Amino acid sequence: MATTLRTLPHDQIQEDTWRTLRNTSPQYVTAVLLTGSVTAWGLICWAYQISKGLGVVGKTRPTMWALYILNFVFWIGISHAGTLISAILRLTHAAWRKPVTRAAEAITVFCLMIGGLFPIIHLGRPWLFYWLIPYPNSRLIWPNFRSPLLWDLTAILTYLTGSMLFLYLPMIPDLGQLGLHTGGARGLLYRTLSLGWTGSDREWHALERAMKLMAGMILAVAVSVHTVVAWDFAMALAPMWHSTIFGPYFVVGAIFSGIAALLLIMAVIRKTMGLEAYIQPRHFENLAKLLFLMSLLWAYFTVAENLTVWYGNQPHEMAVFGARVRGRYAPFFWSMVICNFIVPCVLLGIRRLRSIKTAVISAVCVLAGMWLERFLIVIPTLSFPPLPSAWGTGYNATWVEISIAISTFAAMALLYLIFAKLFPIIAIWEYKYVPDE
Amino acid sequence: MGVQIMAEQPAPTASHRWGMAIDLDRCTGCEACVVACHAENNLPVWNPTEAARGRTVHWIRVDRYYEGEFPDIKVKYMPVLCQQCDEAPCEPVCPVYATYRNPEGLNVQVYNRCVGTRYCGNNCPYSVRFFNFFPPQWDAPLELQHNPDVAVRMVGVMEKCTFCIQRIQRAKLDAAADGRPLADGEIKPACVQSCPAEAMVFGDLNDPESKVSRLAASGRATRLLEDLGTKPKVFYLQRAK
Amino acid sequence: MDRRDFFKIFSTASAGLMTGACGKKLDTYIPLLVPDQEIVPGAEQWYPALCGECPSGCGVIVRVMESERVIERNGEKFRQKIAAVKKIEGNPLDTVSGGRLCARGQAGVQSLYNPDRLRGPMHRKGPRGQADFIATSWDEAIAVAAEKLDRVRQENPSQIVFLTGPQPGARALAIAQFLDALGAPPPACFELVDFPLERKAAEQVYGWVGLPVYDLSNARYALGIGADFLGGWTSPVFYARQFGHFRQGRSAVRGRLVQAQSRFSITAQSADEWAPLLPGSELPFALAIGHLLLSEKMARQPEALPDPVRQAFDSADPASAARACGLDERRLRRLARELGESEAPLVISGASTPQTNSLAALVAAAYLNVLLGNVGRPGGVWPPPPGTAENRAAFSNALSLLERAQYLFLDGSNPVYTLPASAGVAEKLGRIPTSVSFSPFLDDSAAYVDLLLPDHHPLEGSNAVFPMVAPGPAVVVTTQFVQPLYDTRATEQVLAAIAAKMGLSFQPVPARSVAERILPEGQPWDEVVEQGGFWGEPGSDSSPGSRPARSRASSPAASSGIDGAPAAFSGEAAQFPLYFQPYLSLQFQDGRGANLPWMQELPDPVSSAMWGLPVEIDTRTAAALGIRNGDLVRVESPHGHIDAPAYVHPAAIPGVVSMAIGGGHKHYGRYAGRGANPLSILAPVWEKTTGALALGATRVRLSKLGPERQLIQFSANDREQGPWGYR
Repeated sequence: MATTLRTLPHDQIQEDTWRTLRNTSPQYVTAVLLTGSVTAWGLICWAYQISKGLGVVGKTRPTMWALYILNFVFWIGISHAGTLISAILRLTHAAWRKPVTRAAEAITVFCLMIGGLFPIIHLGRPWLFYWLIPYPNSRLIWPNFRSPLLWDLTAILTYLTGSMLFLYLPMIPDLGQLGLHTGGARGLLYRTLSLGWTGSDREWHALERAMKLMAGMILAVAVSVHTVVAWDFAMALAPMWHSTIFGPYFVVGAIFSGIAALLLIMAVIRKTMGLEAYIQPRHFENLAKLLFLMSLLWAYFTVAENLTVWYGNQPHEMAVFGARVRGRYAPFFWSMVICNFIVPCVLLGIRRLRSIKTAVISAVCVLAGMWLERFLIVIPTLSFPPLPSAWGTGYNATWVEISIAISTFAAMALLYLIFAKLFPIIAIWEYKYVPDE
Repeated sequence: MGVQIMAEQPAPTASHRWGMAIDLDRCTGCEACVVACHAENNLPVWNPTEAARGRTVHWIRVDRYYEGEFPDIKVKYMPVLCQQCDEAPCEPVCPVYATYRNPEGLNVQVYNRCVGTRYCGNNCPYSVRFFNFFPPQWDAPLELQHNPDVAVRMVGVMEKCTFCIQRIQRAKLDAAADGRPLADGEIKPACVQSCPAEAMVFGDLNDPESKVSRLAASGRATRLLEDLGTKPKVFYLQRAK
Repeated sequence: MDRRDFFKIFSTASAGLMTGACGKKLDTYIPLLVPDQEIVPGAEQWYPALCGECPSGCGVIVRVMESERVIERNGEKFRQKIAAVKKIEGNPLDTVSGGRLCARGQAGVQSLYNPDRLRGPMHRKGPRGQADFIATSWDEAIAVAAEKLDRVRQENPSQIVFLTGPQPGARALAIAQFLDALGAPPPACFELVDFPLERKAAEQVYGWVGLPVYDLSNARYALGIGADFLGGWTSPVFYARQFGHFRQGRSAVRGRLVQAQSRFSITAQSADEWAPLLPGSELPFALAIGHLLLSEKMARQPEALPDPVRQAFDSADPASAARACGLDERRLRRLARELGESEAPLVISGASTPQTNSLAALVAAAYLNVLLGNVGRPGGVWPPPPGTAENRAAFSNALSLLERAQYLFLDGSNPVYTLPASAGVAEKLGRIPTSVSFSPFLDDSAAYVDLLLPDHHPLEGSNAVFPMVAPGPAVVVTTQFVQPLYDTRATEQVLAAIAAKMGLSFQPVPARSVAERILPEGQPWDEVVEQGGFWGEPGSDSSPGSRPARSRASSPAASSGIDGAPAAFSGEAAQFPLYFQPYLSLQFQDGRGANLPWMQELPDPVSSAMWGLPVEIDTRTAAALGIRNGDLVRVESPHGHIDAPAYVHPAAIPGVVSMAIGGGHKHYGRYAGRGANPLSILAPVWEKTTGALALGATRVRLSKLGPERQLIQFSANDREQGPWGYR
């Protein structure tokens, strides 16, 4: 029987959440050093790639998009974690969301930052990436707004701005509180960022209105962002990309992977920051149920897409389909099915098996499975273009792109570690001032 | 005085629409067109490692497909180059307008504007677009052979067949300087000029009397992947029986 | 003094001033020399020239523009403006190339500007075959060469051997005259690309000296027997042009080509029908066709056959011939009928992969044209163009020459590469006391010589050459139009210098007097030079030198019939169950194109392989041996083995393994060297009349070495991995 929050005194809550801000454990330092060095290695690899040319990665003709775009879609997908929790659950007044709102929004912001970096990494001339931004320029032309990549740019920048606002605004009361009790440079930081928050009724009222407005808007933006990312593929003529299902499919997949990421991060925070009282089994229970639901939804979309392609028997598409289902990429495909569908349904669908541990296992599997799904979207289609003379299954990732991909996970962890050290990971005021329902 | 001279310039002729016809009944698959294109357009040559990774660049290539089993085996082969589609799928997806269709129907690749997203390469159903994965290099003194009329592309940009636009430009300038219209067959891209079997014909599809127009209207003319709606301007004349 | 001289002096002087004054390396570059001709920067000029990539003798035009290169003099870097060759196109006035050019011809610029070209004369430092040379000066090299040559000449001039290429013209004539002045035997040619069997058959049947010319463009039904005339044979550009016209160049007629060959060659691919013949069965095939033409009264001129030949045809049995060929008998009969019933039939015969019975096969096939009455007619077979007979080295099996040679000249000949290891050429070369190579490259044979006296590249030199195949009198005349890139010298001049050093009188005959042998009376020479040659209409000439040479020897077939012996193969069928057919590749021909990067990266027409050519194995043999596309296999003959990646060829005849020639150079620059040389493992089997190497007479066996994928293909194997089985 978990302790309800009502039974915890407010000072206790504050103390628990502020403890990690003050104390720095050796494990924390190790973690920062480890992730920091992996991130630095990734940056070195990127610099190497820029100096030598994109030839150092495995991309080739015809697979001109590979690991980088794959990771781009993956990270943008995970970023939907925050949207779901903060926006959807906020709008539906799901009280159990409280310990996880900030963690989720932080995931969103950092995933977007990392995900948005990948299109730049994958450019042939990345130092000119800003040419996609519409500004009066010496080339005397605007960028091509008909290109889905421009839609990407717009949507992701909008989503990033919105998410940062969505992360920042609810932090203000906590920052105000922290600012009162912290001295030195750090205290100055908190006080500056809290914008002179005094906790008056007017301010609370304004905050509530802003959050409600943002919740609705960010939801719309989030759906549009991943739809637009999906349209990078769906607008192309390539076999098995040119499908109307991609928009909704990607949104569902994004929410799916977002929940999994959130589950994982919650488990990590709970363990490392000693927040067992706050992040309780019932939170995992609810998220696990949501994950199970999304797994079913994901499976529905997957079946719909594959069945239609197989039944239609179009030669161009069947080449790709065959490679995915029983050809060179079959191991990836069937692993994906196991990770995304079999494992969650078994571990989370059967009530007896549902626990924090199985939820975390399912979450990790789903993350792997969703990464595989992105792989299977990008690579098989490009390997089998309409003209068979250009078929090429020779894509092999090199150490450069694998390093950069792995380092983004480390970068994510690093950003998160720094964030958790600087700012309270649980929205304290939500406990204190918003009654439980 | 200057204005008067300007007014005396010949009026611009009707715009051209460049197209090509390739007679597969004549073609022997000898690949002279492939090498002529390399020579004319400063195409990079790599090495076995990069070739094994699929990085070789052949703006025009000869595709081969076998039909049947030995001994009743036939092979279909055809030179494939940029089809200069009227509804090119590569054009709308470039975010920086590095590829667009010029008034003469050519699908133009502007190397300076390309940032290398490679979306156009994915969207081309004929797989005729190539990317410069590394800075191209030539062991000295092979670079003495470079054609100064054609840019040497830098790392990170896409490239493809241009219908030898430099030859088109030169012919138009020469014709304008001589004060005469372009003659049919005057412009020959490198591949067309080299083909020993005279299988390739290049000309103005806007001129119904041009050889390419007549061949394009012949009963043997087909186009590649026509059902995709790309409206290619390269016509393949099927092998007659 | 004119402007040019002024600049020369001025810039050299100022360069000298600068180096003298500063005493240190200059950071900025100074243009040193103005090119000899008035080159306007950015403006192109076109000059006629000769394509040097194969001996066919196509006339070309070359685009020359100003360019810059960095050279080093006394340790200092200077920028030199030069006239550079940008592009090669066919010469539109040439009746052979007709303004067109083949893949190798286009790659000629890469031969001219090849980074592995010899920069100047060199002499050997290390042991033979190690390619260890150091630079020397021309004076010294010529002095050494002359001194040694003089000694051999005084002892026994018959031990002076000159191996050269097959091209007839001023160069060949100069060499012949040089050797004549020495009292040495005439030059010998031992090249695959001489096509000695085709020449011999033409001599025996038609009485012509040279290669017959097939007027394919006016034929209506062509039967090709054993000759890959569209791939790489006697004149690729000429025959491809003919073929284009043959197919679609006439408004109401479309030519039909049937190719009978033991390989699915380029010609077979382009043909309307391919009749797969087992190796060595061209002879029974031709005899059977002749038999059917005669028996079904489709021969137009049966009386033109000598009696023994008539008997050879009559005694041929179509049923057993079909069995020998591996064809269905009905198909054989149908082909004969189609040939006989056509209004303009033509038989194009050759030995793209010579067998021991190829001469008989070619003789039989040539008599088919006689039967069909198309000799000298439009759409038939024509005599060789004048000039191609006299001014060239005669083909001969040079092994015995190499045995007793005391002094060897190599010019356009690479016997270490083009002959099998079993012939022991490398050892023989190693034993010759003095040897000289004129090749612009350090190739496999040049690695064994003592002196490298590099010739100009053909685009840098002057020459008059008679094309091997042309519809009328033809000569390609080139005069130097760009400065030689390096310290090379025209071989004729080097020979003259050597002769002078030996006190002999020898002057190379000028190109003009060679060309004039076939020019019509009153043909202005300036016009010939400006056009890059002369190409006359067939039969329009009037000068006596413009008639094709005729052989006065009597044809053996006319007296003793056609020898119907089957082809002989080396190797026990039980031990070596597969036929092996090396063939002249499109990219490298006999291996000479292997140092051209464009050719290395050109996707092979058969397998789309690059940077190394595969062994082509038929599907049944591959399945039986468990060989998949790309696997490394060992091809073993009774005389050695090579390792190469496998290509499972959908159209290979079961039991016949083919391999393109061109890989496996031991020396030839940085681009050559990959792959394996199929010629190296051949048995020393020679065709008995000409002494030509029987390329197809070696049996082999295959074994799989490993799954390492060494096959680099531009296109995926179209039979592989289509999960939906696209074909």
